[in-house]
Amino acid sequence: MSTSPKVKSAAVAAKLKKQPKKMRLEPSRLVEAPKGTPGPYKLPKNQMFQDHRKFGFSNIMLVLVIAFLFMPLFVVVTYSFNASRGMRWTGFSLEWYYKLFFDSKELWRAFANSFVIAITSSIVATFLGSLSAIGIKWYKFKSRSYIQVVSFLPMVLPEVIIGISMLIFFTAVKIPLGMFSIFVAHTTFNLPFVFLLVSARLEEFDFSVIEAARDLGATERQTLMKVIVPSIMPGVMSGLLMAITMSLEDFVITFFVSGPGSTTLPLYVYSMIRYGVSPVINALSLVLILGIMLLALGFRRFLKTIAASS
Amino acid sequence: MGKRLKGFDVTVKDVSRAYGNFKALDDVSIEIRKGEFFSLLGPSGCGKTTLLRIIAGFDSPDNGVVLLDGKDILPLPPDKRQVNTVFQSYALFPHLSVYENVAFPLRLRKVPAGKLDAKVRDYLHLVQLDNHMDKKPSMLSGGQKQRVAIARALINEPSVLLLDEPLSALDAKLRQNLLVELDHLHDQIGITFIYVTHDQSEALSVSDRIAVMNQGKVLQIGTPYEIYESPATDFVARFIGETNLFPAVVKQCDPYEDYYMTTLDIPALGTEIKVTDYDNLAVGQHVSFTVRPEKLKITGHQPTRVGKDINLFRGIVEEPIYSGFQSKYYVSLENGTVIKVIQQHANYMDEGPDIDWKDQVFVSWSAEDGYIVEVVDS
Amino acid sequence: MNSHMQEKRGRRLGITYSAPMGLWLTFFFLVPLCIIILYSFLKKGLYGGVEWEFTLTAYRQMLNPNFMRVFLRTLWVAALSTVITITLALPCGYAMARSRHQVMWLALVIIPFWTNSLIRIYAWIAILSSEGFVNEALKALGVIGESLPLIYNQGAVITVLIYMYIPFAILPLFTTIDKFDFQLLEAARDLGASKPESIFKVLIPNIRSGIITAVIFTFIPIFGAYTVPLLVGGKDSYMIGNIIVDQVTKTRNWPLASAFSLVITVVSTIGVIWMMTSTASERARLKAPAQVVDANGGIS
Repeated sequence: MSTSPKVKSAAVAAKLKKQPKKMRLEPSRLVEAPKGTPGPYKLPKNQMFQDHRKFGFSNIMLVLVIAFLFMPLFVVVTYSFNASRGMRWTGFSLEWYYKLFFDSKELWRAFANSFVIAITSSIVATFLGSLSAIGIKWYKFKSRSYIQVVSFLPMVLPEVIIGISMLIFFTAVKIPLGMFSIFVAHTTFNLPFVFLLVSARLEEFDFSVIEAARDLGATERQTLMKVIVPSIMPGVMSGLLMAITMSLEDFVITFFVSGPGSTTLPLYVYSMIRYGVSPVINALSLVLILGIMLLALGFRRFLKTIAASS
Repeated sequence: MGKRLKGFDVTVKDVSRAYGNFKALDDVSIEIRKGEFFSLLGPSGCGKTTLLRIIAGFDSPDNGVVLLDGKDILPLPPDKRQVNTVFQSYALFPHLSVYENVAFPLRLRKVPAGKLDAKVRDYLHLVQLDNHMDKKPSMLSGGQKQRVAIARALINEPSVLLLDEPLSALDAKLRQNLLVELDHLHDQIGITFIYVTHDQSEALSVSDRIAVMNQGKVLQIGTPYEIYESPATDFVARFIGETNLFPAVVKQCDPYEDYYMTTLDIPALGTEIKVTDYDNLAVGQHVSFTVRPEKLKITGHQPTRVGKDINLFRGIVEEPIYSGFQSKYYVSLENGTVIKVIQQHANYMDEGPDIDWKDQVFVSWSAEDGYIVEVVDS
Repeated sequence: MNSHMQEKRGRRLGITYSAPMGLWLTFFFLVPLCIIILYSFLKKGLYGGVEWEFTLTAYRQMLNPNFMRVFLRTLWVAALSTVITITLALPCGYAMARSRHQVMWLALVIIPFWTNSLIRIYAWIAILSSEGFVNEALKALGVIGESLPLIYNQGAVITVLIYMYIPFAILPLFTTIDKFDFQLLEAARDLGASKPESIFKVLIPNIRSGIITAVIFTFIPIFGAYTVPLLVGGKDSYMIGNIIVDQVTKTRNWPLASAFSLVITVVSTIGVIWMMTSTASERARLKAPAQVVDANGGIS
């Protein structure tokens, strides 16, 4: 500073009164303020903290693991276009796709069975699971912890155990094995996942909103339908999606509780693998993978919620 | 101030940092002196936190240098710099107790148990947390958490302590107390403090010097007094405290004792006013004129003494805001321009509290109390 | 409406909403489990099923050294696969949580995970078998003359198990790390920690619950694995799951299958309880309400 700044002091106040207050500033320090104030700028998360490098250890690992996850799928899809049956490339052909679409009646019947069971069991599971999540979160009653435990165990128990126990149960109570027993089994293992997803959504729910709704004149039913249900919809949708995919995918449990005429797609694939592999499986793989990709793309909003439940 | 000056000086030279198109720092140069309580002040997004993070080592500039005690620290990772940070969100380790949080740096350096214990207790005592050392951070209040963060940052005996808006998450009263406490702490240990804040009153009250920043640039560096009384730009004048600021044109400039009496034409006020200034400004030049609200006088009747260096306006009170020790008035002048006036109620019998809404008043200030902020080019 | 009545009404509504699921799971999950417990103490029927006669035969049969060997092998395979899976999944979860493209990475993990498990196992057979992709490729390149024994052994089982269960580990780890405050890593670095130190002393202790969940969700299913050892394993890679199924479908020894199932259930339940208590205590630790402090924040 070229001029010494004024010092506030009672003694020199009188003198200062006569003295103008300008202090000269070094020109280099003087920068004209640009007009208009900027909005707050938030750094993107990956630039925000620590030296997280693009080609750091963890990123390389992630790419390698994803490659590991996709490698088998790529191999199968590639060979679905192979002219010969084996793993030796003999030329491009659509033969297996032709066979898949026009010469695989049983496969498509199994597919239809899978589809029917997936839709029905996931809808029932989503309805019951969501309702229960609301009941447990909203009200306090004694048997809450019972429901929480009994809904958690099926998620972690090995499928073999659930399959066998259901087989024994259906046999004991004389429920015939078939589409209905599969529907019951699928609903059972889907319920906990839906319950968990909707509960997680409710965990984030601000319950003062319910009081606000009641305060504004909504009845209990209106509060449920107009406030709670819309805000847990993402959880419900994630639950439904999860349930459909798990049902379509299940082999072990279905293996135990299926009966004659109720072959599902995974069971059919299993028999194809066990008794003579046909490259039709390769062609089917691509169809299924594309279906899953479309599903994941369509529901990408919910992927993070689903990740939280697995 | 009688401090032992132990810290290092920090030199920031020509530092720039851009994120994509956004220039967080645009050619910033600051020299921070040894042992100084230095504040980086500005609105959010002005680049102050980016600068702090560059000094700490969490971010690196696109170009420029940062010297600590004359040595370039940019190649060093954060753990190798003699600089420690107090984070805005405290960043206490939730899995460790208060004691273990403070002991964390010493455990990393494998300090022997006896020495470690004595030192941790010393520092917990320094921040008056002796009685809370076994608690987990989640059991502490915001103020206590902040003090754990400070003790933890100081235990490595850094040469420079960086504070990133350390008080912003606390309520107003607690903020005042902790601010005084920080100032005492700074006096006690005498190291360099670099304090980032968007709160001008915090910066004014504790800093030795302040750098005011906006849009990645340093607009002014100076003592709190300099910054308040002689803002370098319109932005600084508006950002620090409250002010009345108008564009003006120089009409006349005459030597007057050892400075110049300048006559400005201010379209917003619809008239000419007088202001004293060091510089002999050319007639016709465009400038900004500012006068702080507390420098204005407000009276219910025409003042008796009106000297040639007094600017006087008639107006109507649009909004009186009484807050005990002072009142603030929004006065609408005759041409419709609204001007802010702050009146201290130093004596019970002072005029002011009885001035009411829609009262006709007179607003006046001395030519010495006005200030020409900056010369606008073109 | 007074608060007592409201409470009573709330309890009734809560039960009404929750009852359907509670009853469903009781009937179709808990009752079957109880039947298994019961059957394990009964005598084997001649053509499957049981005879109503209390006996400990099933448990005595379980102690057969052949079964014990399979049991220990299962334990070992499950432990090894879980350790490798978690080790691989941790950096993945971390990288995903820090990425700006979280949804993209999630989709890339979930797409193979949702693809039919049998298709995925089949793909591995196609890759590893003696006329499979790897062998044919190596032969074509002239590296080998004879096919390598890549499949129907322990190595194949562990590889495919890791492949099948790694998404189960990545997803909970990602979710936990995503909630982690990365500024704590900066704080650690600032206080003198090197990068590995900041990971092991700050990140890992703070994502314990995610790691435990990941362990549970990989270890338990692998412990009960059935399809993978059946389809890509050899005779020496049989696991408990295979024994159980054999007891049901081939030997028709339902009590023995039930006894094995009970053991797995008990092991799993202990794991789940361990997980729930440690997660609950962690949540309590992180969410403990702040104490009321005087307005000065305790400053004297």
